[in-house]
Amino acid sequence: MAAPDVSLLRIRGVTKRFGGITANRGITFDVEAGELVGIIGPNGAGKSTLFECISGFYAPDEGEVELDGARLIGLSPDRVCRRGIARTFQKLRPFQGMTVAENVMVGALTRTRVVKQAREQAHEWLRRVGLAEKAHAHARTLSTGQRKRLELARALATAPRVLLLDEVTGGVDQRSIPGLVELVRELHRGGLTLLVIEHNMRVVTAVAQRIIALHMGEVIADGAPDVVARDRKVVEAYLGQAYVG
Amino acid sequence: MRGALLFFAAAGLAPLVVSDAFLLDSLVLMLVWGCAAGAWNIAGGYAGQISLGHSAFFGLGAYAAALCGVRWNISPWYGVAIGAVLATGAGAVIGFLSNRLRGPYFVIATIAVSQVLLIGASRWRGFTAGSEGIPVPFRPGFWTLGIADKRLWIWIVLALALMVYLVQVYLERSRRGFQLAAVREDEDAALSLGVAARRLKVVAIAVSAAFTAVCGALWAQYVGFVDPLYVFSVDLSIRFALAAILGGLGSALGPFLGAVLVTTLETWLRAEFGGLGSHLVGLYLILYGIALIVIVRYAPQGLVGWLRRT
Amino acid sequence: MRVVNFAHGEFLMLGMYAAFWAFTLLHADPYVTLVVAAPLFFLVGWGSYALIMRPIVHTSHNVQVFTTVGLSIVLQNLALVLWTGDARFVRTSYYTSVISVGGAVLNFAQAVAFLLAVAATAALFAFMRWSYTGKLMRATAQDRAAAALMGINTDRIFALTWAVGITLVGAAGVLLAPVYAVYPTAGLQFVLIAYIAVVLGGLGDMVGALIAALIVAAVEVIGSYTIGTAWKEVLYLVLFIAILVVRPAGLFGQRGSEAIGA
Repeated sequence: MAAPDVSLLRIRGVTKRFGGITANRGITFDVEAGELVGIIGPNGAGKSTLFECISGFYAPDEGEVELDGARLIGLSPDRVCRRGIARTFQKLRPFQGMTVAENVMVGALTRTRVVKQAREQAHEWLRRVGLAEKAHAHARTLSTGQRKRLELARALATAPRVLLLDEVTGGVDQRSIPGLVELVRELHRGGLTLLVIEHNMRVVTAVAQRIIALHMGEVIADGAPDVVARDRKVVEAYLGQAYVG
Repeated sequence: MRGALLFFAAAGLAPLVVSDAFLLDSLVLMLVWGCAAGAWNIAGGYAGQISLGHSAFFGLGAYAAALCGVRWNISPWYGVAIGAVLATGAGAVIGFLSNRLRGPYFVIATIAVSQVLLIGASRWRGFTAGSEGIPVPFRPGFWTLGIADKRLWIWIVLALALMVYLVQVYLERSRRGFQLAAVREDEDAALSLGVAARRLKVVAIAVSAAFTAVCGALWAQYVGFVDPLYVFSVDLSIRFALAAILGGLGSALGPFLGAVLVTTLETWLRAEFGGLGSHLVGLYLILYGIALIVIVRYAPQGLVGWLRRT
Repeated sequence: MRVVNFAHGEFLMLGMYAAFWAFTLLHADPYVTLVVAAPLFFLVGWGSYALIMRPIVHTSHNVQVFTTVGLSIVLQNLALVLWTGDARFVRTSYYTSVISVGGAVLNFAQAVAFLLAVAATAALFAFMRWSYTGKLMRATAQDRAAAALMGINTDRIFALTWAVGITLVGAAGVLLAPVYAVYPTAGLQFVLIAYIAVVLGGLGDMVGALIAALIVAAVEVIGSYTIGTAWKEVLYLVLFIAILVVRPAGLFGQRGSEAIGA
């Protein structure tokens, strides 16, 4: 159990270099249990790199990531997941050869050893994300919006404590966005802690209680959505794309 | 599933019905190649780790059995066990490599491993009688695997075949199987979902290696001669993959059907053209090569897929 | 192209047979045959790309591996069926001539092959580095999608890359015919070393492959002196595996390149 004064997720001075490029530089922030933090920034700001570092796909050159006080740095991605951090990918990666339900079962099987139970859990998650009727369809027949929901269900099946969402509305048609947004809100209301990378400012300001802005690998703003949206540095970084809502 | 029952029942009953030595001999070989292809399929079809170095494991089993009989005068059944253990070790090495290399580059590394063993076996005169190979002594008796009755051989190999088949079925239904399928589809996505991809791959390859070695050991005892240039050859590795792919990659019965096809055509062509000139035997391999190219691209479900549709 | 051609050795073998038949039937010296064979192999390369490789260029690794493996099987056995498995020899007049360079005695034909190979490699390197087409090829190899977006006809680049590769290896076969025996599986003895040199040198890096090839050769020779000619291959094979364990990208490759697919 987390001590009351220790944040659920602590990110301290995470720095990641690729040859001459510093993708993340000294990134530091805490996330409390139950928070929904939006992460914004222009392309190349280092948002996805940060997710890769947190989820264990990259090892940062410097810095610490702690979940509930336990170090995550150095753990392989599958162990990070088992500790309680799940993620979705910006470029969708469904298991093409499997059905929708089977996709979600892979996630569920990380928490249960019994295939039958995993199947039931998978169907339950599919119901929650609104994909129940597609359970037996092949993953490759889904539309983009449906694939996003599948990725969500799959990640949720691992029963995470923190969910990292990478551009969940990216490439989704306008009509489907509100549904997805409502789903994210619902998950948050259920007590899940979320970090959400988003380009769509309307979506971010609608769901996030707090926004962290990245630019050139550094945190340039961290606070309430309306404050950050008006922050001069943020506006400059985006050069007019910010939506003051 | 029903197809499998049919297949194994037919194979099991054949010795009681058929008495022609040639046909029984073909059946034994079909089953051995089927087992080897099935074992390959565990790594290649289910774990998605394509290797062209599986002859390394086959050869280890063959040599272990042969050397037990020739050098140490102990039952070749020990050879089966020793071969399996050694192959598991070699499999772990290759499994380790599978976590460092992908695709064709991994294939090259597997070929290198099998060639190291080929050269070792064919040059190490003192231990393995070098490139002349080892004639396997025939000492009558079950314990010494000196079995003249082909029917008994069929049942022995059939038992192995059933094991290999059931392992594959397990990989289709079980938790580990689902996770392995995820790894095969997209390793990074699987990792992000908590699947211990690296460990699973190594285990799959090690299991595949062990079964292949057992095939090699039994084959050595049956055929009676171990030639390093054959038993560790790339051609043999390709043969396992070929049977599995023609039969249907990633299906439990596929490798056995593929082996039946490969062995049948080979035997028939050899009988037909053998007299005219052994080089014409190459014809069936040309057909296989073309079949491989076509199937792998246009009909990846192989024979099993075709049978399901008809 | 990021495709390993497992039939590479078979095209070498075809080059050897080309030299043999030209020599036997037309009494043509292999060096003359080379002039005719090179463009011929280019056409064979272009044709085999169109017929076999184009459909699979965008597919998974497995499909590519087994397509070229299948091609290898077909070519080997075609040679077997057409020309039997008997070893053939191209016994030119200079078959046993030697030349001495410094204190070393070299087989004439081998020396010529070596010089021409060096020249060809240098030409290829210059082409890849400084010519416009060479740049197109390198760009396409690094990022197929981006190259296509830049307006590069990736299909034609692939066809060219493939054809150039086939031409070079076919030419190598012609050059090696006076030195080695010619038989259907003759390609195998050379091809494994080639793959090892390329993987060891680092994928996509020509200079790396060259250096790695020299290293492999050196190790082989050192091995034949220290542990005997029977085991020399084992030495470089084991070294190959050991290096891959430590540096999967090869000696000079970019880290992570071994994991890149298309």
